[in-house]
Amino acid sequence: MVPPQYYLVLAAAVFCIGVFGLLTRKNALLFLMSVELMLNAANINLVAFSYYWGNVTGQTFGLFTMALAAAEVAVGIGIILVLYRNFKDVDVTEAATMRW
Amino acid sequence: MSDADSGSRPRLKLGGHLAPGLAAVALFGVLALVFLRASFGEAAGFEQGASITAAIGYAMFDIDAGAVPGESMLVAFEIIDLVLVAALAGAVMLARTGAGASVVTALTDGGRDSESATIADSVRELRDTLRGGEE
Repeated sequence: MVPPQYYLVLAAAVFCIGVFGLLTRKNALLFLMSVELMLNAANINLVAFSYYWGNVTGQTFGLFTMALAAAEVAVGIGIILVLYRNFKDVDVTEAATMRW
Repeated sequence: MSDADSGSRPRLKLGGHLAPGLAAVALFGVLALVFLRASFGEAAGFEQGASITAAIGYAMFDIDAGAVPGESMLVAFEIIDLVLVAALAGAVMLARTGAGASVVTALTDGGRDSESATIADSVRELRDTLRGGEE
């Protein structure tokens, strides 16, 4: 039986890799991947504590988080398409205003 | 240091631009420290032989069955349904090319509009350049 601390440290590592990517990169696609990593870190915690409490709510909520991540990526890809169409680039620092 | 000595090796540039990355690493340090020092009891775990997959299905549709405890997620299920439809509609709206384009033309011509057929144009340019180079 693996203690919950290990799951928490794993989730913290995955989350911090996501934060690292978000803070250091400029590519919008890498931004999407980093946000995905952060969401999956939360999923690891949900499933770990689902087992810790012997309750299936955490795992069910993990499924909903995945559906939410899919919806977020659909909108994110649409925004990146518009960004590329307008700037011929996916650099997030190019778009400094909400309208152009 | 002479030019021959330095060569063209990549060099680590220290400075303020490293701060965001270091902040992320420091965040991991703090989190790991807190988690490893926290004390948890023994995990309850699931019953031997209980079907977790079936229990997730029962919890999702608010059916009172199965051996594993869990809350009803029926409201969350309906909300996520609406969110997915909204995201689909939003993605299609964002991906449309210009005012005259419809979903059907986006499907048949790959989403290109006439003034910005950028990928096809760049491929053609590249091919012309390569061909010119050979001649």
